[in-house]
Amino acid sequence: MLELSDFTIVIAGLAAANLVIRLGGYYLGAALPQSGAWARGLQALPGTLITALVTLQLLNGGPAEWGAGAVALLVAIVTRSLPVTMITGILTIYILRRMLGGG
Amino acid sequence: MQQFRSGFRDVVPLALGGALYGLAFGLLAAQAGMGALQTGVMGTVVFSGSAQFVAVERLAAGAGAGAALIAGVALNLRILLMTASLRDVLAGRPFWQKLLGVHLTTDESWALMHATRAKGGAAGYWYLVGAGTCMMAMWVAATTLGTGFAATLPAPRALGIDFAFTAAFIAILRGLWSGARDVVPWAASAVTVAVLAKLTPMEPSWALVIGGILGAVLAGIGGRNA
Repeated sequence: MLELSDFTIVIAGLAAANLVIRLGGYYLGAALPQSGAWARGLQALPGTLITALVTLQLLNGGPAEWGAGAVALLVAIVTRSLPVTMITGILTIYILRRMLGGG
Repeated sequence: MQQFRSGFRDVVPLALGGALYGLAFGLLAAQAGMGALQTGVMGTVVFSGSAQFVAVERLAAGAGAGAALIAGVALNLRILLMTASLRDVLAGRPFWQKLLGVHLTTDESWALMHATRAKGGAAGYWYLVGAGTCMMAMWVAATTLGTGFAATLPAPRALGIDFAFTAAFIAILRGLWSGARDVVPWAASAVTVAVLAKLTPMEPSWALVIGGILGAVLAGIGGRNA
């Protein structure tokens, strides 16, 4: 079969695009100056990007998500533990959604 | 190899959360007409949950391959910023190792590596690869399985599992926190993404990238005063 299905096109296209994005990001980062403002910016990037991600996730939620987010933040600050924060967060959202009727 | 094992082990809670989404993705893929093998191949070569979801959802909704592809790629632009911060992990390694490292970079493996380093743990190249390998094994297994019997499983949201990632990223942020100098960049990032996503018709994935970059720019410019 020489005819390409939409699935084949999308899979191959996404794989190629991801490769370009992933490798391109690395070479871009490597090409930038190793000190000064550029380096400080790159170093700060993980924190700012994840902050943006969490903000977006909480914005898309309601009171239940905000409450569980606050609890998770508190647990994270106290325990610094990833699994404990995840489990507490899931339990809290489960309870809050029950109480608030779906959040 | 010690680090490979640490990374593999540390990411297990995140990989289990991802597996539930994998099952759901498998169901969607099967509904869209994809087979188990095709789904497994997609998970291995694309290896990007959110982009796979969006692209296959677009296909299932009747959009053409081009539109599905653009949606998936737009969602993945943030990965460019993620691998841009891998310089000290990848520099000087042979090309195949760079290729392997960037391919195994996911939101989870990448964030976990940075958080472990920020906490003072030994987390370099093999930590990233270990975490990425665990994520991929779970993702491919779950998505492939999902094409078979995901219809019988409860939706992640019913169990609160959808919040697992938000909670995980909050824990990772805690690990990345390095003091007062983070306040301005992080706040700027949060406010930017909130304003762009809520007050403009912009795609959330673009708001995310712009918020992250703006915060990093402020950290770059303001760093001298910190």
